[in-house]
Amino acid sequence: MSLIKGGHNFSVVSTSTRWISSHYMKADLIVNLDKRSYDNHIDHLSEGGVMVYNSDIKGDMDGIGISLTSEAKKYPNPNLMLGVGAIAILGATIGVNKTELNALIKNEYSKGVKENISYANIIYDIVYPIIGGKFQLEGGSKKRPNILGNQAIALGAIAGGLDCYYAYPMTPATSILHYLAAIADDFGLAVIHPENEIAVINMAIGSTFTGARTMVGSSGGGFALMAEGISLGGIIESPVLIILSMRPGPATGVPTYTEQGDLNFALNAGHGEFLRIVASPGTIEEAFFLTAQMLDLVWKFQTPGILLTEKHLSESSMTVDINLNDTIWAEPLLHKDGEYKRYFDTEDGISPLLFPPAKEILKWNSYEHDEFGFTTEDPRWIKRMHDKRNKKFKSLENYLMKKKTVNIFGDKGPIIITYGSTVMSVLEALKYGNIEARVVQPIFLSPLPIWVLEKYKDQEVIVIEQSAIGQFANLLKENTNIQLKKVIKQYNGRPFDPIKLSKKIKDAV
Amino acid sequence: MVKLGTSVENTWCLGCGNFGILNAFKKAIVELEEKGISQKNILIASGIGCSAKIFDYLNLSGIYSLHGRDLATIEGIQFVNPNLKTITFSGDGNAMGEGLTHLLFAAKRNADVTIIMHNNGVYALTTGQYTPITERGWKGPSTPKGSVEGPFNAISLVLEAGATFVARSYTAKIQHLTDMIVQAIEHKGFSFLEVLQPCVSYNNTYKLYNDIVEELDDILKSIEEAKLYAKNKHKLFIGIFYRTEKPTFCELLYGDHNPVEKRQYRDERINKIKKILNIE
Repeated sequence: MSLIKGGHNFSVVSTSTRWISSHYMKADLIVNLDKRSYDNHIDHLSEGGVMVYNSDIKGDMDGIGISLTSEAKKYPNPNLMLGVGAIAILGATIGVNKTELNALIKNEYSKGVKENISYANIIYDIVYPIIGGKFQLEGGSKKRPNILGNQAIALGAIAGGLDCYYAYPMTPATSILHYLAAIADDFGLAVIHPENEIAVINMAIGSTFTGARTMVGSSGGGFALMAEGISLGGIIESPVLIILSMRPGPATGVPTYTEQGDLNFALNAGHGEFLRIVASPGTIEEAFFLTAQMLDLVWKFQTPGILLTEKHLSESSMTVDINLNDTIWAEPLLHKDGEYKRYFDTEDGISPLLFPPAKEILKWNSYEHDEFGFTTEDPRWIKRMHDKRNKKFKSLENYLMKKKTVNIFGDKGPIIITYGSTVMSVLEALKYGNIEARVVQPIFLSPLPIWVLEKYKDQEVIVIEQSAIGQFANLLKENTNIQLKKVIKQYNGRPFDPIKLSKKIKDAV
Repeated sequence: MVKLGTSVENTWCLGCGNFGILNAFKKAIVELEEKGISQKNILIASGIGCSAKIFDYLNLSGIYSLHGRDLATIEGIQFVNPNLKTITFSGDGNAMGEGLTHLLFAAKRNADVTIIMHNNGVYALTTGQYTPITERGWKGPSTPKGSVEGPFNAISLVLEAGATFVARSYTAKIQHLTDMIVQAIEHKGFSFLEVLQPCVSYNNTYKLYNDIVEELDDILKSIEEAKLYAKNKHKLFIGIFYRTEKPTFCELLYGDHNPVEKRQYRDERINKIKKILNIE
């Protein structure tokens, strides 16, 4: 459920000194603030794990009781302080010292710092003698940032040249809007929240006309409202980048959970025939670089592009290792000299761009048009402009053939094909289960990199995805000769748990 | 100065009010050029409908948008490069049916754009259905028994929403119309210009308008008075109903910043991101 202050809410943290790509539901430490949390999560306690509960709450609970509420009552707004108590318990258990804990509270909880620190220290002192340092963590070898998937998307876009972002709030894409709005002035960006998603996409297309690198973001419902605009982007040849972060549908569905049910919709959004570039990042790091690359691709090929992701990636945070110098900077093909025709019919279908103010006339037209952009119903122009735009299918394929379009992890064992954030779950499941397998992840879904995937033709593979009807498996079936041995699907809103998934993979191979 | 017409065949009906708008607009562009506003800084958009065909007849840059979405499109141009003078052409159906949300919000945020609303009271290009401002009882192909809905009043609505320049003119009064277009474009903030535009095929109002159109002597004193004059059905007043100076959307959002002209380049951005992420 979408929650603000009501209901049951929880956070899961998993950590390791190696790269860990998915959280585990089995926990060494569980901190509960109320009875409902205890009941909901008692089964998630690992063998040898520690359950800490709020001893001021009535009910039958086992574990280490800490008087979280009665200690909090010594301060104003006691209910808002309990979470800080949980942080203190976690800190004491993993060996964070008080100086580090206080610095952390100062950074993260800017309201009532003094009271929060005082309360956290009291809880820390109660807990430390019992379980202090029980799950002592080693420090890593290098300082690395910990960022949200949506933050990676936002920063990747900025690194790639983003000038302008439009969005209407919709979970799980909303935090891109919030993050960009907060840093807009630092980077000179226009970050705008207009009346609805129809305005979002049409304003974005208007902005691309001026040369502004423009992005929009939403989830399935908002993306559906953009469909007509995406089609406009197709004929008008607007380089607009759309972030589609999936949650379970149809309709309002389950807003704060995850799914991969909009793959077909993304591949086919908008009426009429035109090139849609669709790519999906497998990790938070990849989300950073792929967003910049997609911005470049939509500008190079002047057509709408969709970065397809999921709630699981958007709203998970992870420690990442990013070399910013590897970021691609979005560069379109520009008109140099001579007569200007907006829709000049070139060999690869890409017409050079010019931006206003210009002495040349720049006409972008939603009607079928001639090379100058004037409306036409002439059958020769209708056919020619279809052909002109459709040349970009082949041009993009030729371009991408020289780029990395598929990630392959491992070099032995059975083949698993998956995409998007499910990649993170699969990699973690393999590590957990000590399973040797090759994981094949197409980064691009339109065009699907058949030129790479064809080396698996006639081979038996396992497909893993978060769709009830197996949309990704069907995409592979329709476009390749890969033999599907087994499709592992999960569609209960939750990302795969590595422990359960590793068992399913073992059963399948 | 570049030729303002194009070689595209004009397909409006003979006697269509839209010719008056096309001629007045060309004259207005010449006047604006004389006042120092260069043609290359003037960007146009249009929705879909008879009014929108003007896009092909004007040798100016811009976007031929979707039905009802032209205002969002032109705002998108203006928001990232506030130096551009941006105008959209829209029919009454386009602006107040499919596009009503965008119209009210553009007025609400005082976007620095001009909308010229060709008001012929009918969806002409789809053969004569009633529009959101057609009087009750209109017998068209979608309402053979007569429309049962009453009309919106366009001027009253945009005033309520926050428009800072609101005017009306008539296609048969070319000089008046030219003057209104010039003032609407010159105005800093959201300009709404309703143009009474007879449709010779489905709603021929020339005779009626010639009888009841009357020029306002002066700009009206208040929003309340403007609404009263706008709703008068015995006399159709033309002229400036309301004008006020207010900060525009872009001014309030980022002062004199221009996201396109002052964009930051790669190295500057990468260095700032390194600081945010606390990495070397």
